[in-house]
Amino acid sequence: MSFEPKILGFLCNWCSYAGADLAGVSRIQYPPNIRVIRVMCSGRVDPEFIFEGLLTGLDGVIVMGCHPGDCHYLEGNYEAEKKFNMVKKFLELINFENRIRLEWVSASEGARFAEVVTDFTNQIRELGPSPINKSEADKRLREKLQAMKMAVSNYRMRALVGRERDITENENAYGDKTPLEKFENIFNKAIRDEFYRHYILLKLNQSPKSVKDLAKEIEIDPSEVLDHLLILKGRGQVDMENIIGITPIYISLMEG
Amino acid sequence: MKDTKNENEDIRIGVFVCHCGSNIGGLIDCKKLAEYARSLPRVAHSEDNLYTCSETGLSSIKKAIKEHNLNRVIVASCTPRTHEPLFRECISEAGLNPYLFTFVNIRDQCTWVHMKEPDKAYEKSKDLIRMGVYRAAKLEPLEKIKININPTALVIGGGVAGMSAAISLCKQGFKTYLIEKEKELGGRLRSLHRLFPHDIDASELLNKFYSEMDKLNNLIVYTSCTINHLDGFIGNYQVELEKEGELINIDVGAIVVAIGSEVLVPNGLYSYDGKKVITQLQFEEILKLGQVNAKNLVMIQCAGSRNDDIPYCSSVCCMTALKNAIVCKELNPDVKITILFRDIYTPGTFYEEYYRKARENGVVFMRYTSDKPPIVENGVVKVHNQYLNRMIEIPNDLVVLSTPLIAREDNEFLAKLLKVPLESNKFFLEAHVKLRPVDFATDGVFVCGTAKWPTDISESITQGQAAASRAGLILSHETMEVEGATSYLPEHNKDLCKGCEVCIKVCPYKAIKKNEKGEIEIIQALCKGCGLCGASCTKKAITIKHFTNEQILSEIKALGGEVA
Amino acid sequence: MMSESKKALVIGGGVAGIQSALDLADMGIKVELIEKKPAIGGRMAQLDKTFPTNDCSICILAPKLAECYRHPNITIHTLAEVKSIKGTAGNFEVEVFKKARYVKEDACINCGLCAEKCPMRVDDEFDRELRKRKAIYMYYLQGVPAVMTIDAEKCLYLTKGACRLCEKNCDRNAIDFEMKDSTIILDNIGAIVVASGYSLLEDVNKKFLNTYGYKKFRNVVTALEFERLLSASGPQSGHIKRFSDEKSPKKIAFLQCVGSRNERLHNYCSSICCMYATKEAMIAHEHDNDIESYIFYIDIRAGGKGFQDFIQRGVNEYNIKYVKSKIAQVYIDKEENPVLTYEDLDSGEIKQLTVDMVVLSTCITPPKDIKDLSDSLGIELNEYGFIQTKPYFPIETTKEGIYTCGCAHEPMDIPRSVTEASAAAARAAELIKGGSY
Repeated sequence: MSFEPKILGFLCNWCSYAGADLAGVSRIQYPPNIRVIRVMCSGRVDPEFIFEGLLTGLDGVIVMGCHPGDCHYLEGNYEAEKKFNMVKKFLELINFENRIRLEWVSASEGARFAEVVTDFTNQIRELGPSPINKSEADKRLREKLQAMKMAVSNYRMRALVGRERDITENENAYGDKTPLEKFENIFNKAIRDEFYRHYILLKLNQSPKSVKDLAKEIEIDPSEVLDHLLILKGRGQVDMENIIGITPIYISLMEG
Repeated sequence: MKDTKNENEDIRIGVFVCHCGSNIGGLIDCKKLAEYARSLPRVAHSEDNLYTCSETGLSSIKKAIKEHNLNRVIVASCTPRTHEPLFRECISEAGLNPYLFTFVNIRDQCTWVHMKEPDKAYEKSKDLIRMGVYRAAKLEPLEKIKININPTALVIGGGVAGMSAAISLCKQGFKTYLIEKEKELGGRLRSLHRLFPHDIDASELLNKFYSEMDKLNNLIVYTSCTINHLDGFIGNYQVELEKEGELINIDVGAIVVAIGSEVLVPNGLYSYDGKKVITQLQFEEILKLGQVNAKNLVMIQCAGSRNDDIPYCSSVCCMTALKNAIVCKELNPDVKITILFRDIYTPGTFYEEYYRKARENGVVFMRYTSDKPPIVENGVVKVHNQYLNRMIEIPNDLVVLSTPLIAREDNEFLAKLLKVPLESNKFFLEAHVKLRPVDFATDGVFVCGTAKWPTDISESITQGQAAASRAGLILSHETMEVEGATSYLPEHNKDLCKGCEVCIKVCPYKAIKKNEKGEIEIIQALCKGCGLCGASCTKKAITIKHFTNEQILSEIKALGGEVA
Repeated sequence: MMSESKKALVIGGGVAGIQSALDLADMGIKVELIEKKPAIGGRMAQLDKTFPTNDCSICILAPKLAECYRHPNITIHTLAEVKSIKGTAGNFEVEVFKKARYVKEDACINCGLCAEKCPMRVDDEFDRELRKRKAIYMYYLQGVPAVMTIDAEKCLYLTKGACRLCEKNCDRNAIDFEMKDSTIILDNIGAIVVASGYSLLEDVNKKFLNTYGYKKFRNVVTALEFERLLSASGPQSGHIKRFSDEKSPKKIAFLQCVGSRNERLHNYCSSICCMYATKEAMIAHEHDNDIESYIFYIDIRAGGKGFQDFIQRGVNEYNIKYVKSKIAQVYIDKEENPVLTYEDLDSGEIKQLTVDMVVLSTCITPPKDIKDLSDSLGIELNEYGFIQTKPYFPIETTKEGIYTCGCAHEPMDIPRSVTEASAAAARAAELIKGGSY
């Protein structure tokens, strides 16, 4: 039996969910792989949800909202887009970004809804089943996704993405606007940093480790690991437990 | 953060699978679906019905709630967008809080769209029902919040729009304060002479308003009065006014902004000097006094508008020019008047007629294009005539510039005070250009007249009345019920809040603020439940009722098969 | 002081009527909403997108339709028309004629089976006769009330006594051929709002449009027809194919002021055509980036909020060229491509332009039956044939207690119609609640 993807869709009540209903009323057929969670606004979709969906073994996640300018709650879809883009950037670090999609579908676009779902289902079908369910090697992938989920639940990334529109679209007290490019640079670096920080945290949650251990498991330079550990220490999330020989061992101070 | 309320409650879910005639039942086995539902954790009862939305179906639900002591209900049938209110009402009649209900869409988004794959449609329905069951287990009862409404209105601005709004509100039965910055009411009407298109005198119309207002005993007018300070939200505003040095505090339920606009003074344009080159408003003064000495007049339309600085069309300038030209011709039929225009803006029935009237009165019209604007020099206007394809010179002793209406300087102050937005030209920005043209996105505040956009008298009056209707419908009720599925910051999460204010920034309705103690307050009356604050909260402290993180995550996990 | 149990009557279920009804109902006043067609929604339901934001028309209308339907204070009477009224402001009695639907509103669930079986194919008015529907039909898919209707003039059973296939196939026994046209009396009406909307030139005077090739040349359509073609739920699902050879048009000409600003026909300006032609050209371009549009005009009228920016975007981003020249006649060449002759003002030359399709921006006219309506209500029409109003108070008709809004009295766009609808509600409320007029 060939692979049939299992896809999760977040549909906003006013546009995309209505568009999906219209496809139904018009009897426009599309593949039965999608399972819909209704939210009032696409802006409700917390980045954490997308990671949860992927971690639970779903092969694809799609978020659909109103066309820009049409959001029932005025600006929700703009926020949805920012959050989605953040998730996408994280997933690009592990070549996973093709398993998620953001689309604008209005309440009158029944045919388009069906088209989008068909297209996305085909895309996922070609990618194959989500790798996180399978072998030992893919256990690492699962860990990385978990680290990303932790990162998007963390203060720093949420503050950055929550303030993105304000920073890039409005002038500050001095009448200056932060150019999008400058913000993008800061943002991209933050994504990378927070991913590794939370990966480190996840590893330390499993057991205490040295810098060398961590560098090996996570596959980055020990100096980079140390930089991250210092930040994490400053945040009160890790500490040095003891020293074995001349090697410091770090532990996580987080529960669970 | 775990919500401890649920843990001790014995959750008893009832699942009602609808056949919807043959729309669902004709493709998949609803009985089997109901059995499957029954096998899920915390499901105390399940059944299948032919038409759950019918009287029979609804009675069946109520019966089952009583017999099986259900405290959560799921209907698996069509779409919540049609029948959710119906089923909420039904369970409410059986004594359950209406928010303890969830809908599973197995028709519009399942059997109707997978007609050739009944097996897969069945599997999908199972998944969706399972998701619904896990969501239902996390649902909480919610109360709609009731707020009191003070049946009093405040209208800011005493021009035609403001007066129309105030008159209508009073006639609807609401005490209304009308405040005006100047010493007298009337706004721009007091500077006008003749009104287009019906050619009556401005004072005639103004007197009509005065006599209407005299009859109203629930209208309180404060002239020479400005607004200092404002606090509160819909139904409950506290406003501090200042009238000639004296402070007046009033409490109102709704506010209408009608502060009008200014006329652009075209300094630096077309050699404007206020003597030989004047504005239409200045020309109006001259016409009022009957003192037109000029023999050759040139009017220039779009003077200072439809360009890079002021990109819009001010809609009333063409009619103003036509009117003043007609009045001028009445005073002296021999005066030569040439109107240089880009497009003549006379839409509709009467206005187009008025254009014809001006032409019949001998006014000459000459078109110019934006890339070759007229040049005003001493006693002569040079303009490129398209039909002759050359520059021509029009001798004149007076040039009248038709300049646009622009936003008032104090729009910014009022916008900040009321927490309402301005658009790129600094006019007030309404909630929706088409469907909510006199509302602000923030509930309880309304806008009308040229404060919103250049428009004529008829429409200013109509907008004032419209704002009175929109404000009136709020003031008509003693209390207002606010949607229960709002956002809130639970007590036990208050210490999580870092005060980062991201929630305040992302809220489209300005429903979140920081109080004097520096704590985040979500004004329930203004919250629309979109969920942006919850999804953005940097400490995940804010909860969105009825769409909580726990509820959504449990649906996701149920789909993935991670069940508990 | 009038008792608050007085009701309001709103005539017309388009966006203006709906807005008026909702405002009044939210104030606590009971509303009887009278609509001629089988469903409410009016012209806005026929539009694909609306200017100046180009947002989807039905998407922003549908929540209002649902709200109207569910509102405890609003009773919707579809297939209904006002026949006569008695009484005065504050106390009207209204006679309403209701055509039989032949379908039980509370039984029909809109599953569509009946229409599948119906053998009669009929021109679909909602789609401007560009496609067919059945004798039992939904006026349009998202219509409210969401139930079927039987066209008594086209139904085989109602005209010839045969068939009844729909009835045989209905699971819900929703078909009832015993229903009859009826007349009901609505009393206790305090105020009336007339929101009867408009017709278009092609509805009242097809002959005049022959000069422009309408109904003569296959590649000439009217603006509302083009709107239906552009619509995702319309007869071509938004993929425009011209009628002569099914080719996708690349050059489209919009002719403005067709029938309006015309001393021999309608001397007024139809107000919205400059904007809607631009809108249609933009949407066409969105569907096919190769499309270039020419808009032939006399004066561009774009004074509303955001309208001038809209026109500018048309020029900058959507390949629209505005040509100041009124086209008087349309010809075609051997391949049925429309050919236009116009004066190029920049060069002073007479030029010819061959396009693939011509869209006529036809004039808004008063509804065909407006004289019947105004007679029934005892209100006057003005010299343009629209409802007469008081100078500077366009909500007031010539009769106390009867108010009007929207295109019923003057061609206007949606923002103005909605504003006026609220204003009419205010006036009606003043009368009903405040007792004064």
